Amino acid sequence: MRPLARPLNFSESLGGYFAYLNRALKANFAYKASTLLGLFTAALSYAVTVLVWSHVYTQKGSSLLMSRQEMFAYLALAFCLNYALTINIDQRVGQRIRLGLIATDLLKPLDFQLSQATQALSDCLFNSFVGMGILAVVFYFLGGQILPKSPQAFGLFVVSLFLAFLVQYSIVFLFIQGAFYTYSGYGIFASRIALHQTFSGLQAPLTLYPPLLLTVGRWLPFQHVIFTPVFIYMGRVEGAEALRLLGEQALWGFGLYAAGYFAMRKALGQLEIQGG
Amino acid sequence: MENALTVENLSKSYQRRLRQPGLLGAVKGLFASRFEEVQAVKGLSFSIGRGEKVGLIGENGAGKSTTLKMLTGIIVPTGGKLEVLGHIPWKERRQLALNIGVVFGQRPQLLWDIPVEETFKLLKTMYRIPEDVYQAVYGEALHRLGLEPLLNTPVRHLSLGQRMRCDLAASLLHAPAVVFLDEPTIGLDLSVKEQVRGFITDIQAKFGITLLITTHDLKDITETCDRLLLLDKGKLLFDGSIRAFEQKYASDRRIVAETHKPVEASAAQALSQAVGKSGGKVIEAEGHRVVVEYHEEGAAPALIHLILQQLQVVDINLEKTDIETIVTRIYRSDTAKA
Ligand SMILES: Nc1ncnc2c1ncn2[C@@H]1O[C@H](COP(=O)(O)OP(=O)(O)OP(=O)(O)O)[C@@H](O)[C@H]1O
Ligand SMILES: [Mg+2]
Repeated sequence: MRPLARPLNFSESLGGYFAYLNRALKANFAYKASTLLGLFTAALSYAVTVLVWSHVYTQKGSSLLMSRQEMFAYLALAFCLNYALTINIDQRVGQRIRLGLIATDLLKPLDFQLSQATQALSDCLFNSFVGMGILAVVFYFLGGQILPKSPQAFGLFVVSLFLAFLVQYSIVFLFIQGAFYTYSGYGIFASRIALHQTFSGLQAPLTLYPPLLLTVGRWLPFQHVIFTPVFIYMGRVEGAEALRLLGEQALWGFGLYAAGYFAMRKALGQLEIQGG
Repeated sequence: MENALTVENLSKSYQRRLRQPGLLGAVKGLFASRFEEVQAVKGLSFSIGRGEKVGLIGENGAGKSTTLKMLTGIIVPTGGKLEVLGHIPWKERRQLALNIGVVFGQRPQLLWDIPVEETFKLLKTMYRIPEDVYQAVYGEALHRLGLEPLLNTPVRHLSLGQRMRCDLAASLLHAPAVVFLDEPTIGLDLSVKEQVRGFITDIQAKFGITLLITTHDLKDITETCDRLLLLDKGKLLFDGSIRAFEQKYASDRRIVAETHKPVEASAAQALSQAVGKSGGKVIEAEGHRVVVEYHEEGAAPALIHLILQQLQVVDINLEKTDIETIVTRIYRSDTAKA
């Protein structure tokens, strides 16, 4: 009889997480058609946003808080960042919960939240790969305006980007918990997307929002996925203010991650793996 | 013997939402839901020693899958105690995971869009499977289950039977101490079923695995297990060796004799008296056929002797009720359940 295996410590389990990441990347590259379709839809919604703003600037450009060039640089960067930080795990996990396939995920010796994070990271790495291409195209049209304001701004942006991923993933993961109760991922997916579209700063910098919406947006984590990193990148916030924003981002990121952990524990307590 | 798992007074009830029929019912359901409690498992108690091979059977809806889900830690029991390899499954699911292997017949654990072999490699890394263990199980799987030609195929291109074979291999790759198989042969053709049973038996013997299998194909159990648990509406109806099961429920054995000439009434009468003293009973004597039923094990030689003495026999057969018949009879009869 073989002796029992003792539980893996964190460094022993790293190999497993990397193996997950590796295979998720491979799977991502296998679905080219879906990638192209996603890109096309994203580009379409971006085009609409740009057209609307273009119209606004033609009507009364000078009175706005941001110059036309800055606005378009912002929108382009926001679009690329949004594309890079698109995570598709909620649909996937929702489906697995509905069909009871989640059982096999839960039976693995790895932490579920962390292994889903590798999946999310794979989505983001893959999307960034595509996103770089888009950025190159945008650069051709907008030139130097989309370069970071300064090396310092870029440095802060890198930190902010990591935190943006953490916030985004934690939001997605928290929303996924809903699927453990509803046994369907769609409604949850749709509501998260709606909130994200409204409050992340994808369609306009939050600073241009009317007071009420701005207040709501400021109390929600979605701003830290796009608005915060882009503003830091553009040097619209610098120094102490930038550091304060990074702190806020980190609080949201780690806080939501922890919330996801506890929500999952609670959800599993009442989970009924569907199907006999 | 050290216990692999113990279950004490284990129960599970589900809340089932009652839906009213029709669209109107569905709309009403949005505002007020009524729930009904389904008691899937009611006060189970049993324990299984390390290295034991146990089959869990019961009618559809008897609570087999529910029991396995609790033992593997993916659902939380509503009452009672359970322990697997010293862990409380639902609390310590992840620690337990390294030492158990699970197949839920209907749920593939293979990754959908990559070739089978890559899933194997992934599992090898994830479970930190020692090379010798990996090679032993992997080699056996290739050989016994004929996986060789499937290794480079993405899982989504496999047929059900092919996938199930790969899935079984994947679940046993880390030679876990305890293996739970929920209908591992569902939907397989007869020859693949044989392959699967052979593989399970081999790996079990090689690593001294503790085995708990649920199935509706009793051959899975007679060929791989020694012990049987019979679940009926969430309760344990029988727990013991397969032999004891047959003795308890299939005590009726028969001797069927074919005679040279039709059996006359007087001869039948005489035989009846003679076998009666040796614990037998003539239950049929018509034409060329005589059937003697008995219950005591070991009574057959004496009874056969009597039959051969009294009748001119051309052929003689011993019949035992097979396990399928017994089980069918139990599922049908309410008396047995009471
Ligand atoms: N998620 C669930 N919600 C409500 N009731 C459930 C749920 N899962 C199972 N049940 C009920 O619990 C009982 C036991 O189900 P279980 O799946 O354990 O049966 P089983 O013995 O595995 O049956 P089968 O041989 O058909 O697989 C059934 O009456 C079933 O309807
Ligand atoms: Mg079942």
